[in-house]
Amino acid sequence: MKSGRFASCVGHVAKALGLSLAIAAASAAAWAQEAAPAAAPAAAAGSYTPMKPTPGIGMPVDGGLGIQTQFSKIGEYGLWMHDVILMPVMVIISVFVLALLLWVIVRYNKRANPVASKTSHNTLIEVVWTLLPVLILVGIAIPSIDLIAKQYKPAPKGALTIKATGNQWFWTYSYPDNGDFEVVSNMLNLPGQPVVNNGVRDVGSKPWDGPSHLEVDNRMVVPVGEPIRLLVTAADVIHSFAVPSLWMKLDGVPGRINEKVLLVEKPGVYYGQCSELCGAKHGYMPIALEALPRDKFNAWVLTHPGGAIDGQKPAAQAAAAPAAEAAPVGEATGEGQGDATAAAAE
Amino acid sequence: MGKQGTMAGTKNHDYHILPPDIVPLATTIGAFVFTSGMVLHMHDMAGGAFVPWLGMAILLASMFAWFSKIVKEAHAGDHTPVVQLHQRYGMITFIASEVMFFVGWFWAFFDFSLFPSTLSEAVGGQWPPKAIEAVMDPFALPLLNTLILLCSGTTVTWAHHSLIHGDREGLKKGLWATILLGLLFSCIQAYEYIHAPFGFGQNTYGSAFYMATGFHGFHVIVGTIMLIVCLKRTYNGDFTPRQHFGFEAAAWYWHFVDVVWLFLFAAIYIWGNWGGVIE
Amino acid sequence: MATTADHFQGHVDDHGHADHDHKPAFFARWFMSTNHKDIGTMYLIFAIFAGIIGGAFSGMMRIELAEPGIQYLDTFAKWFGAVNPDFNSSLHVWNVLITAHGLIMVFFMVMPAIIGGFGNWFVPLMIGAPDMAFPRMNNISFWLTVAGFCSLLCSAFVPGGTGLGAGTGWTVYAPLSTTGSPGPAVDFGIFALHLSGAGSIMGAINFITTIFNMRAPGMTMHKMPLFVWSVLVTAFLLLLSLPVLAAAITMLLTDRNFGTTFFDPSGGGDPVLYQHLFWFFGHPEVYIMILPGFGIVSQIISTFSKKPVFGYLGMAYAMVAIGVVGFIVWAHHMYATGMSVNTKMYFTAATMVIAVPTGVKIFSWIATMWGGSIEFKSPMVWAIGFIFLFTVGGVTGVYLANGGIDDVVHDTYFVVAHFHYVLSLGAVTALFAGFYYWFPKMSGRMHSELLAHIHFWIFFVGVNMIFFPMHFLGLQGMPRRYPDYAEAYAHWNKVATDGYMVMAFSLVIWFINIIYAYTAGKKAEANYWGEGATTLEWTLSSPPPFHQFETLPVIEDAGHH
Ligand code: HEA
Ligand code: HEA
Ligand code: CUA
Ligand SMILES: [Cu+2]
Repeated sequence: MKSGRFASCVGHVAKALGLSLAIAAASAAAWAQEAAPAAAPAAAAGSYTPMKPTPGIGMPVDGGLGIQTQFSKIGEYGLWMHDVILMPVMVIISVFVLALLLWVIVRYNKRANPVASKTSHNTLIEVVWTLLPVLILVGIAIPSIDLIAKQYKPAPKGALTIKATGNQWFWTYSYPDNGDFEVVSNMLNLPGQPVVNNGVRDVGSKPWDGPSHLEVDNRMVVPVGEPIRLLVTAADVIHSFAVPSLWMKLDGVPGRINEKVLLVEKPGVYYGQCSELCGAKHGYMPIALEALPRDKFNAWVLTHPGGAIDGQKPAAQAAAAPAAEAAPVGEATGEGQGDATAAAAE
Repeated sequence: MGKQGTMAGTKNHDYHILPPDIVPLATTIGAFVFTSGMVLHMHDMAGGAFVPWLGMAILLASMFAWFSKIVKEAHAGDHTPVVQLHQRYGMITFIASEVMFFVGWFWAFFDFSLFPSTLSEAVGGQWPPKAIEAVMDPFALPLLNTLILLCSGTTVTWAHHSLIHGDREGLKKGLWATILLGLLFSCIQAYEYIHAPFGFGQNTYGSAFYMATGFHGFHVIVGTIMLIVCLKRTYNGDFTPRQHFGFEAAAWYWHFVDVVWLFLFAAIYIWGNWGGVIE
Repeated sequence: MATTADHFQGHVDDHGHADHDHKPAFFARWFMSTNHKDIGTMYLIFAIFAGIIGGAFSGMMRIELAEPGIQYLDTFAKWFGAVNPDFNSSLHVWNVLITAHGLIMVFFMVMPAIIGGFGNWFVPLMIGAPDMAFPRMNNISFWLTVAGFCSLLCSAFVPGGTGLGAGTGWTVYAPLSTTGSPGPAVDFGIFALHLSGAGSIMGAINFITTIFNMRAPGMTMHKMPLFVWSVLVTAFLLLLSLPVLAAAITMLLTDRNFGTTFFDPSGGGDPVLYQHLFWFFGHPEVYIMILPGFGIVSQIISTFSKKPVFGYLGMAYAMVAIGVVGFIVWAHHMYATGMSVNTKMYFTAATMVIAVPTGVKIFSWIATMWGGSIEFKSPMVWAIGFIFLFTVGGVTGVYLANGGIDDVVHDTYFVVAHFHYVLSLGAVTALFAGFYYWFPKMSGRMHSELLAHIHFWIFFVGVNMIFFPMHFLGLQGMPRRYPDYAEAYAHWNKVATDGYMVMAFSLVIWFINIIYAYTAGKKAEANYWGEGATTLEWTLSSPPPFHQFETLPVIEDAGHH
């Protein structure tokens, strides 16, 4: 972590939240431009260069106070609930109780009020302080229940399925709709710390590397803007697939396959971390999720041996399929994949 | 009220104030040696072969000492009506906690049987699980055992009635009958375990079945021991029609064990074996 | 509460010479005790001892978390006896630390102090009873707690997973605790819970019987001090929840050692079943830790406001309601496990309900002070601090209750912040409040009010510095149970660690205060808090005679309260 390159990255991260938002907007604009030519059939089928993450986007911000900026519909809803309902309620109740306490301290201390009253009942006030919280809670519960309902709406028929499997201590992502290839994803080494998983390079050794502790050798790549059926499970003990900026947290439980919709609204790199204690390196199995426009995603798929674009989008498939044969395996992905698998055996 | 003017240390109430006693610490040491010994035993470590037995011996000896003291105190007249009431509350709450212990095992059983795993090959989404080729016939020995326990519930009540009406012979007979029925139950249960068409581990069926019925069986044995103690005390001339809480506690416990069995029988043996192949 | 037996004052001099009634000799007195006050004292000393160990562990954790990277874990590993620990076993030490910290604080600090210590001391005194209903069983409750602690200590020095010790988290989730942790450490940990759990069940039986059966003549249930009510409800929670934990951890034990597959998916078992069983116990457990605190705070607020508690019946039944509802909300700890949508909705709604009776308590405390003539003696300052800090922890609990929101903050530092606000700032603050309230009663010596106030303020600043920033960390996504973290979390972690140093300093002042009391403290009178203190313990000398109430006090029917 004392690496110079990383320090400069942290420099960016350290900027205030507002600044980060500006960067986010800029990067989104950049993507909109890039996406246009990519739509042409000539789109480099079977090629992929990892995206450079935008500092402060899809990752924590130094000194940050609130929830990470959200990049999914459900996340925006959740954030609204946090900002508009829950935070105000929490703050108001805490401040109200504090104010009452201060008031009685000032008004009813021994000097201000030498003789104590003996009042110990007041039915009206007792009813009020029972019913008022009930009303507040109902006010919270209604949107809250709605949020749960929306959050767990099953994925539409025909949605792309991706399966994330937690292992001690790395993630594997498999793409059953795309030829069922598998991506093994290990955290990058932290300079100055013992090697985390054999064969994986140091964080910051590639230009696209994001923050330490969060960046991986092979990211989970998903298409942007479409609902994905995300399956989460685990091979050994419980892990949890969590990406804060996508409002996503779902346990991978051995013997169960949990399901949730994943819908990323903007292309970008979104970081998350395993969120269920899973042994020694629980802290060292991050999730890096890269959302790409469909054609770039397809191109990424085709860089994998066995990767195929099936009936999801027939047009795209027609264009991509012949290209697939000729497609050279991308330099970026080829590297580390085999090593990572070896590391997995560790 | 009013001043007593008496020596300090005179008690003017019916509660039972006890002198210092080493037995609780001894019992604790027994428990600790036993649990630690079990760890050694389970991991094949040095001492694993005898430390659990040592702990068990200390535990049993201290418990024997403890309960003997209680009996002695009863004779000494320490168990005033209010103290007897304490004991009632104590026993009821103890049984309540035991009920919750069984709730845990039933919870596991219903989880497995209502939502059989589809991912496990041993279970294959069905109950009884795929791996269970044959189950026990609930209406054979288990039904017999149910009748035995129900019957023992009536004999213990017979004993109680006899005791209340001063019929010592009836008390003895009732107790003898209950104890023998209890032992018979345990023997049949052991026979069943030995001849069961499925194993202990490997899948949820065996796990839930043996742990739930096993803990029940353990409680039957404890209850039987309590009844044996009562029988011995009866021969010693203990228990009066008005004061016999030791007996009542054993009887309550026995009824509790009985009721748990009814649930086990209905849930695990009948409902849980439904559709299974009877060997 | 109209529980005073004013006319009972006459007996105090009776007990004046009761002081030299036969106290047993040292060994008999402390190793064979059947005296509720001595047992209470032992519980308190044990809890302080465990609190220091648990607090030291949290200090080790905070130092490691002061900055990103792994700095001290290999050193810690060596302290526990590992020779040349490799990276995995160093990291494992982290998990051992949090596990031990959580278990020690919950089972061996808060519970022994607040139930075993204050409950034992003051329940009999407050209801006018000479002792507990089962004095001998009271003793084994204590020793089993000690035995449980010893078993937990044993676990730290034997293999368990990738290093020495049990690294499963205090929740001991399967399969990490079964197939994921070979070696004897987790078995020792499980037995630690069995032993202390058995002790607590017996304690619960004892309290229930004592409270139902040994109230002084005239003290109806509706005249019992609220602390007694709180212990009664707590005892029921213990009685009914602990056996389920016992079943759950027995399943762990047999899965680990005897081939059952309760939590092993290959045999059809379900790891989530463990979580249900654990939290069916675990959620009542959190109220077990706070209800007696509520009771203590009620006594103190009333005493120093010189007013009876406002809405006494509402206060008592609010605790009953919290206890009852506490049994049907457990799965709010499991929103991320993949429960069905309807289940999540139910648990969201049910969990929020608890805020209502808890609100009744908060507002009734304030209403008790309202119109009072408040004296800010040290216990009162701690109690007021409690009300505020607990409210902050409580409202974040309501935040977490929302399944759709908890999903994103679950297993982050937001949760850590929540539960330390209700525990380390709630339960512990209530403990210190009770400590200053009753210490002179128990020891016969007055502490220094000045030091007690300084202790409060430094503690207050310190713990808020530790735990308030954790809300920010959690919202930003920092997962819990991590020894190392991304650079972006560095700032607030540094603040938290600095806060720890402040808090630790306040504990030094506390110790100095205790030493002061025993060396230079004034002798405490029977009722050193004056007119506001109306419960029966204030009718007795400080410390009370070895056997009190040899003639039972009679509670006059005051007609109202
Ligand atoms: C003393 C212990 C204690 C107490 C009292 C509480 C009280 C509450 N807790 Fe907490 N909790 C814990 C200890 C405690 N908790 C622990 C240890 C964990 C983590 C365990 C682990 O994972 O390791 C946890 C975790 C936890 C979770 C799971 C989080 C997660 O893992 O994702 C949830 C979710 O619902 C929750 C909710 C609540 C609620 C709703 C209350 C309520 O009882 C709070 C009620 C109080 C108030 C609301 C304040 C006062 C009320 C008013 C002033 C009235 C007006 C208020 C409103 C209208 C809102 N708690
Ligand atoms: C009562 C419970 C309790 C208390 C008091 C504390 C106190 C503290 N806790 Fe802890 N904590 C837990 C319960 C508690 N904690 C639990 C359950 C977990 C989760 C574990 C897991 O994930 O499995 C946890 C986890 C936890 C973490 C997260 C670890 C992680 O997820 O990686 C951290 C990190 O900073 C932390 C820090 C602290 C600190 C700095 C204190 C300081 O406040 C400590 C200072 C010490 C005291 C304030 C106690 C002093 C008291 C006495 C000496 C006795 C007094 C007695 C009388 C007056 C009679 N705790
Ligand atoms: Cu995987 Cu934590
Ligand atoms: Cu809870």
